[in-house]
Amino acid sequence: MDIRKFIPRSSARGAWILFFLLTWLWASWWMGDSFRIAREQSFFAFDATLMHGLWQQPFGFLWIIGRAILVLYRWPLLGGLVVALMLTGGTWLIAYCLRLRPDSRWHPLCYLPAIAWMAWVAWIGLNIYFQAESGRPFGILFLVVLICAIDAFVIWTFKKRGTHPAPSHQEVSGKWMWSWAVILLLLYLLPFAITHLRHPYQRPFTRMQVQLLHDDWQGIIQTAHDNAELSYRPLAADYAIALIHTGRLADDLFDIRLDYDTLFVKGYGNYPNVGTGLYQIDCDYHAGLFRTATHHAVEHLTMMGPTLFSLKHLTRLALLDYDWPLARKYLLILKKAPFEGDFVARYEPMVGHPELVDADPVFAQLRLTEPVNDAFEGQFEEPSFLGYTATMMVGRSKEALMQSLMACLYSKRMPDFLMRCQPLVGATLPRSVAEGLVTQVSKEPDILKVFPQLNMNAQMFQNFIRTNQFAFKDRPTYARKLFNTYKGYYPYYYFFGNLKATRKRSDEEHGGSKAGVN
Amino acid sequence: MKTSNHISHILHHLSFMAKVCGWATLLIACSSKPSAVPTAFTETTDSLAMYPDYRDVTIPPNIAPLNFQLNDSSATEFVVAFESEVAPKAGFSCGACEDGKIDIDLSLWRQLLYDARGRSLTVSVYAHRPAGWVRYQPFTMRVAEEEIDPYLTYRLIEPGYEYYSQLGIYQRNLTNFDVETVYENDRTFSSDNCHCINCHNFQANDTERMILHVRENHKGTIVTHGNDAYKMIIKHDSILASGAYACWHPTLPLVAFSSNKTAQVFHMNYNEKIEVYDAASDLILFDADNNEVRTILRTSDHFETFPCWSADGTRLYYCTARLPKMPEENFEANLVLRYDSLLYDIYSMPFDTVTYTFGEPQIEINASAQHKSCSVPRVSPDGRYLVFAYASYGQFHLYHKDSDLWCKDLQEGNLYPLTESNSNDVESYHSWSSNSRWQVFSSRRDDGDYTRTYIAYFDAQGQGHRAFLLPQRDPEYNLLLLKSYNCPELTKNAVQVSTEQIRHLIYNTEAELATYKE
Repeated sequence: MDIRKFIPRSSARGAWILFFLLTWLWASWWMGDSFRIAREQSFFAFDATLMHGLWQQPFGFLWIIGRAILVLYRWPLLGGLVVALMLTGGTWLIAYCLRLRPDSRWHPLCYLPAIAWMAWVAWIGLNIYFQAESGRPFGILFLVVLICAIDAFVIWTFKKRGTHPAPSHQEVSGKWMWSWAVILLLLYLLPFAITHLRHPYQRPFTRMQVQLLHDDWQGIIQTAHDNAELSYRPLAADYAIALIHTGRLADDLFDIRLDYDTLFVKGYGNYPNVGTGLYQIDCDYHAGLFRTATHHAVEHLTMMGPTLFSLKHLTRLALLDYDWPLARKYLLILKKAPFEGDFVARYEPMVGHPELVDADPVFAQLRLTEPVNDAFEGQFEEPSFLGYTATMMVGRSKEALMQSLMACLYSKRMPDFLMRCQPLVGATLPRSVAEGLVTQVSKEPDILKVFPQLNMNAQMFQNFIRTNQFAFKDRPTYARKLFNTYKGYYPYYYFFGNLKATRKRSDEEHGGSKAGVN
Repeated sequence: MKTSNHISHILHHLSFMAKVCGWATLLIACSSKPSAVPTAFTETTDSLAMYPDYRDVTIPPNIAPLNFQLNDSSATEFVVAFESEVAPKAGFSCGACEDGKIDIDLSLWRQLLYDARGRSLTVSVYAHRPAGWVRYQPFTMRVAEEEIDPYLTYRLIEPGYEYYSQLGIYQRNLTNFDVETVYENDRTFSSDNCHCINCHNFQANDTERMILHVRENHKGTIVTHGNDAYKMIIKHDSILASGAYACWHPTLPLVAFSSNKTAQVFHMNYNEKIEVYDAASDLILFDADNNEVRTILRTSDHFETFPCWSADGTRLYYCTARLPKMPEENFEANLVLRYDSLLYDIYSMPFDTVTYTFGEPQIEINASAQHKSCSVPRVSPDGRYLVFAYASYGQFHLYHKDSDLWCKDLQEGNLYPLTESNSNDVESYHSWSSNSRWQVFSSRRDDGDYTRTYIAYFDAQGQGHRAFLLPQRDPEYNLLLLKSYNCPELTKNAVQVSTEQIRHLIYNTEAELATYKE
């Protein structure tokens, strides 16, 4: 059966359109948030001073072009459209240069480079931007398209019309064509599969990061709940940030899995990395540790050069510090970046106006947990947003107390937790605090006298212990099985959650060295 | 609601695109800058907004054009007229478009300064507003008789914390805008090769002899003599660490180094962001011709640092602080908590240039008695003045906002601040021109974080004049640059070794171990 008999003459055009639509789908819907965040972790401006550092790097001009393309991901549909056009155009040019005409036996080969590029992008995951050059993926794509275009132009110019070899009239069987169609479809699905299987955290995390850009706290919580069974620190970090801003930290923190599977990310110089840098600055900032956030944002600026992400953080931090000249400097730079008008319009009026800074609802929330006294970062366990928050002795608000309590519960520092519960005597206890207290009743029986309202919680806790006695023998195995039943219940987290961190902590304490907080 | 938000969003971006088109039109419209002084104008008493602010400064007769940017939101074009006091008709004028950037012609500027040497220039700014041309109150610049050394060597580095990435030492020709690279580390991160470079120093404002340090990978100290260079390393049981802050003897092949155990800590809630302190420091003397090193001062209860030779090389000045009383247990942890009780005085001791021996130390500036602290002493090449940085505590005044430049008249003995040259923010590292009439120094007066190089006239009566920012071709350059200028050093001539020579030494040469001499 000759398949060509069943395909209209416009089938070739249809294949190109289908390919274009599929790549657009991938580049805008599937990868849209990833590239949107890559854009935030990048910087492009039509200014020689600002692009000088990148320009001087090997292949710097290429990375600049890659970043320019990334700029369009301000709107993922638009960015995806351009990328899809480049992929489709590049594929067409490859077909033209290699004379793989639509009716040629080997025509389907022309699609492979585009699919290979997509698979590579999927394979590197968050390293499309994390501690890596964000202009690289699109810079490489641009280079390939450019080379093909030049090659095609040369062929078109120097080959006499008619001497470009005619398509080989080999018989192409229907079976052959169908086989290729199936292979291409499977290959097309490969980038989706790689992201889904190797980097399952990537899409929810970048979604949450986009939501963070818009202060969409409910959206972040929803995304976290939709992916509650995924257990990765970056997701937990963004979720905790959203809970802080909605006042739900003490009630909902343990609603998602907190066991932390491995992230496949590389750090500077392509070395393995645990990915703390994905969320550290955001966490410092939203925990009210402005100096520490500045510290890490400047480190980010040092290692990555200017990025929208670091410049925006530094602008906000300068405003919180009432440091107008510094805020003005960062805003001037951001004004040079295309499509950053919204950010500048929101924050520029605050320069020189402390009353506007204080009136900003997000800033006002963050101020509640700003440290009261000075200390040095090195006096606390890392990361500071946990180490400091869990051990600080003086806070400026009940929100600061609540964050401290939750940091203690999260890192299972129960003596510190109990000490911080004293101001809550006689008050209505948030869910996690009440559940945290009952886990300590066996060690501190007086808890029930001080907090008589906990009797019901104590009973529930006893039931939990009794019912799950079997699981204590092999906690790692049962942790996952019990999660759906006890999602959000602190005693479950206390005994079955974050076991790797708990084990590490007790090992390190056993060794006599200072423990790292996970 | 969401739809209307969306629509307003789209409209916002459409208006942005319209603005872009508007800018493009303006750019074309203002392609020819006005330059003729308007004949009809009205006087305005509005204060003139210009960056950098070059009003009422004293400038060297050989300095590059002082390009600046005018800011008047209602003006569409500007004209600036420069007139010399001696020959008013001999001046010139130049114009700017809406961006207000004045780009002065180098040859016209040179002629003007030649004419005005020892006299004043009058600068009149005209702005074209919708109602017609206005003239701001004219201001003056005084052109000194004495030239400044034509070369300025400095390091560019992010105002970072712990990390560093791409950084370099550069040399600027002050008579124009040319910049040459003395040495740059790698432009991309590589954990096997990354290295920090710092503390370049020259002998008596002459590049015949130079040193610079390399830390981390490929470490060592590069010592140059004319076109020759070698790499050496100071390492011995009797020495704390490699040489740090250095000062060439004015005539002999000797370098006085401090040897420091330096640490830094990060504030979490304080006016300052970082503290850099020494946990120990001594002074050592390096003989460059014989590659020998010996101890100058090693004390257990004092920290000695920042050595500096007198102009004739017969005295060595240095800073020293008494170790605060505290328990020996957990020494460094206790020391960091007493960071603000380390107060540095300036001492000097005689040096025999024949036997290379030092005499008894004597106090020069007893800052600790005033609960103050000195740093970076530098004696003027004419031997008359000692200028140093003065702040409330510590020795790394780059991070102390109250740090100012002070002066001691070594002939009269009186001590005073260089009020005209100082600002409300940091003034720290400084160096003299070979004729003792110019000082360049680091200042954070622009925005508090990014160190910039300022130049100030220092008159024969020992008074510092109003300082001005190192001029750049693009006046916006310093606002956009995300790096700090470090260790500005003036020299009479250009660095003699090539970048390639230094790179070869750093990468391909084993450092020679300096011999320790008891």
